[in-house]
Amino acid sequence: MAVRMNPGLVDDLARYGADDVTKCFQCGNCSAACPFSQDPFIFPRKPMRYLQMGLEERLRSSLEPWLCYYCGECSVECPRGAEPGETMMSMRRWLTAQYDFTGLSRLFYRSWKAELLAILLVSLITGAGFLTFGFLRGGGDLSVYDGPGAFLPAGAVHVFDWTMGGALLALLLVNCLRMWRFTMGGERRPRVPAGAYLRHLLLLPWHFFTQKRYAECGEKRPWATHLVLMLSYVTILVLVMFFLRDLQFGPEIRWSVHALGYVASIGLITTASLAIRGRLKKDAPYHKHSHESDWAFLVLLVFVASTGVVQHVLHRAGLPTAANVAYLVHLMGVVPMLVVEVPFSKWSHLAYRPLAMYFARLQAEALAARAGRPAPEPKPQLAT
Amino acid sequence: MAEERIGVFVCNCGTNIAKMVDGAAVVKAATEMPGVEVACAYKYMCSNPGQELITRDIRDHGLSRVVVAACSPRMHEGTFRKAVERGGINPYFLEMANIREQCSWVHDDPAAATEKATALTRASVQRVTHHQPLEKRSVPMCPATLVIGGGIAGLTAALELADADQQVYLVERQAQLGGNVARLDLTAPYLDSARDLLRDRVTRVTRHPGIQVLLESQVVGLQGFVGNFRPTVKIGTGELLHLEVGSVVVCTGYQEFDATRVRQYGYGRLPDVITSFELEAMLRRGKVETRAGKTPRHVAVVHCVGSRSREFHPYCSRVCCMTGLKYANEIKSAIPEAYVSNLYVDMSAFGKGCEDFYKRTAEARTIFLMYEKNQAPEIRLAGTDPEGGMLIAMKERLSGEEIEIPSDLVVLMVGMEPRRDSDEVARLVNISRDKDGWFIESHPKLDPVATTTDGVFIAGACQAPKDIPDSVAQARAAAARILAKIHQGMIAVDAVYAEVLEAHCSGCRVCNELCPYTAIEYDEVARRSHIISAACKACGCCAAACPSGAIQARHFTDQQIFAQIEGVL
Repeated sequence: MAVRMNPGLVDDLARYGADDVTKCFQCGNCSAACPFSQDPFIFPRKPMRYLQMGLEERLRSSLEPWLCYYCGECSVECPRGAEPGETMMSMRRWLTAQYDFTGLSRLFYRSWKAELLAILLVSLITGAGFLTFGFLRGGGDLSVYDGPGAFLPAGAVHVFDWTMGGALLALLLVNCLRMWRFTMGGERRPRVPAGAYLRHLLLLPWHFFTQKRYAECGEKRPWATHLVLMLSYVTILVLVMFFLRDLQFGPEIRWSVHALGYVASIGLITTASLAIRGRLKKDAPYHKHSHESDWAFLVLLVFVASTGVVQHVLHRAGLPTAANVAYLVHLMGVVPMLVVEVPFSKWSHLAYRPLAMYFARLQAEALAARAGRPAPEPKPQLAT
Repeated sequence: MAEERIGVFVCNCGTNIAKMVDGAAVVKAATEMPGVEVACAYKYMCSNPGQELITRDIRDHGLSRVVVAACSPRMHEGTFRKAVERGGINPYFLEMANIREQCSWVHDDPAAATEKATALTRASVQRVTHHQPLEKRSVPMCPATLVIGGGIAGLTAALELADADQQVYLVERQAQLGGNVARLDLTAPYLDSARDLLRDRVTRVTRHPGIQVLLESQVVGLQGFVGNFRPTVKIGTGELLHLEVGSVVVCTGYQEFDATRVRQYGYGRLPDVITSFELEAMLRRGKVETRAGKTPRHVAVVHCVGSRSREFHPYCSRVCCMTGLKYANEIKSAIPEAYVSNLYVDMSAFGKGCEDFYKRTAEARTIFLMYEKNQAPEIRLAGTDPEGGMLIAMKERLSGEEIEIPSDLVVLMVGMEPRRDSDEVARLVNISRDKDGWFIESHPKLDPVATTTDGVFIAGACQAPKDIPDSVAQARAAAARILAKIHQGMIAVDAVYAEVLEAHCSGCRVCNELCPYTAIEYDEVARRSHIISAACKACGCCAAACPSGAIQARHFTDQQIFAQIEGVL
């Protein structure tokens, strides 16, 4: 069955950052340079060809963009300056938009103005909402931070967190299901037995928590930075979701959660700042190109982490009014960050990348089984 | 006949001959041959000391004939003729025995090879006895030139010659000058206007006092030989013009491949499948549109139409790749929102500035799709509406995918082919064509504009598919060759040619048609054939064919050849 070409695909992807893909003349140096490119997933060359030709359906069903951690080797080796690394990055943005059924992701990625507007809007609504809530249903007194009369009581915020978290997770799950349908469905794909899904399930947490595959890229530093950032983030997320009461508790401090919180905050601010500095200085191939969504993600992270620290310091310094104001500002950062980033933007790669690694392994095995040969020896980091 | 004093000089050619032929044995046998006065072998007879040996021996021994047993006469006959001449005897008193190409190089039995070399030498010794003194002559060179074809090559050649103050007759069949270049919009890779390129040339040619432009005219006959051609031109009014020129430059160009021949492209059947020349016309008009007058959004450019295929022309037309890229640029600047796909077999960006052009075109988001040679794409209507766009189905090689390309306008890059009448032209000016029908140059590398007929040159795409710079270079090269001859003033004519013994000629005219160089004229009044010695190449066809034995090839007389045969036996 012939595939219909969409000549506009290249133009579309350019909105996601893939500016240079048309320079590619398919020599394949990128795939030779890539430490992960391995049968049956040859990249960046193959997905780049799909993109050049406008084979939209083929690109949408490709797992390859997620198998790349963007070490930038390919871009260094490319003789035409086609920036395969950044092209793969753009494909991940495009795929994120494709997986998202609401169309918001597409809107945000293609227009930084829309994204900024959404962030500001959510931020203002959040601020106004919590302010109203604090005066009408909370303690009503901006000078009380902790205890029973707190302006923003931990219990109420906790309920809000879980409600919002649940909604965002549901959106993300739907998008993940769409990803599964695009990449694992269709007659071109080999049928993967249910048992295989179960057998390799551990790949998901393995890739999520170790990002071991990233460590196989030539340099170790980007992997370490990325891992610390991710683990810090997850730590704080867990603390907020499960131990908000202990965090907001006062006047005495609950060191069990705070010790972890301090370490994670330092880790998050340091690594996010390092990433911002790297992108500003363009100090590595993977920092050469920055899409607006990259900036939004990093700036929000640093903003949220630092306002979190500030409100905590003000609280401990005995300045409850200032602490409450800082808390409001913090929430005005956290909520839009999560609402925009989790299901619609860069944050979602926390889910898509491990999923892709998992799916890739299943496909490789199923393809091998179909061809009647043993599954290709996976690169060590793909093993369970 | 007085007894001849013959010298035999055997060359060892380093080890080329010596490794298989015993030179000393040949020398020893030669000394015993009748008439041989002196015989010797030397390492390299063609070297200065080798030639010196010959000239000295001629003087010292009073030699009247010389035999050099060495390589092919194609290689060094000229060298040894000069050596013989320096020795004081007629240069045609030399005969060469080829004991290298026809002996040492092709045999592996030294004894037998030596025996054969001896036989060949004996044949030459016997032949050379009958050689006659021949004199080289020269004929005057007419400085005017006939340029056939008023395209970019013809215009350039004409200007080059006329600017050197020589008379030029430029014959163009059409009503205007410019040829195929006049049909183009811009040129690749610098996107200069073809019109600008031509305008200046055409103006200068038409105004040049040294150039007589004959429009709507055709060369119908060409008599004579190098330096003294007599072309007949049928001019617009129908009357015949008789000219006198010394040289002819053929610049008849090419014609485009007939796209209807590739069935699956639907040219002629699908309204929006057009040829590259039709697109050029649209671009010149400044409006690219479909038959229905709509602005196309998807334009597909199909390369290699009629070229590089088993079915049509096996060769590459050379200019289409860059022209296809040019279209991508031109269409994009005319319709910025349009998508242009280039469907190609291989992308040849070999010329100066072309690789950069390819890169820039790719960066401008041109889509490149590679199809397999001999597995051409197929074009069909997307729906039932002939104005509803088309779909091109092809197997894309770089991805291995079977794809369908939506297209509103398909441009077929029709290749170049020899003009329909190129065989007529070839016969008219007496040059040959290759298997594809292009005119053949004298040497593909070292003599690219001369032909097998002295004084007739070829330039431009009539020789092979060619772009503008190459055509211009060839035209100027041809002009340079002609100017050199004009400068010399006279044309040296080889002393070896055939002649008709008129008393024996019956006027049957068998030889007239046979002569590959149209060197034989027929005298209607005397009813005898006559050979123009300057045009004769001494091929011997006429001499062999003449039923009356009336034609004698100088330096290849029956007597000489029979003597040679006897010698070898």
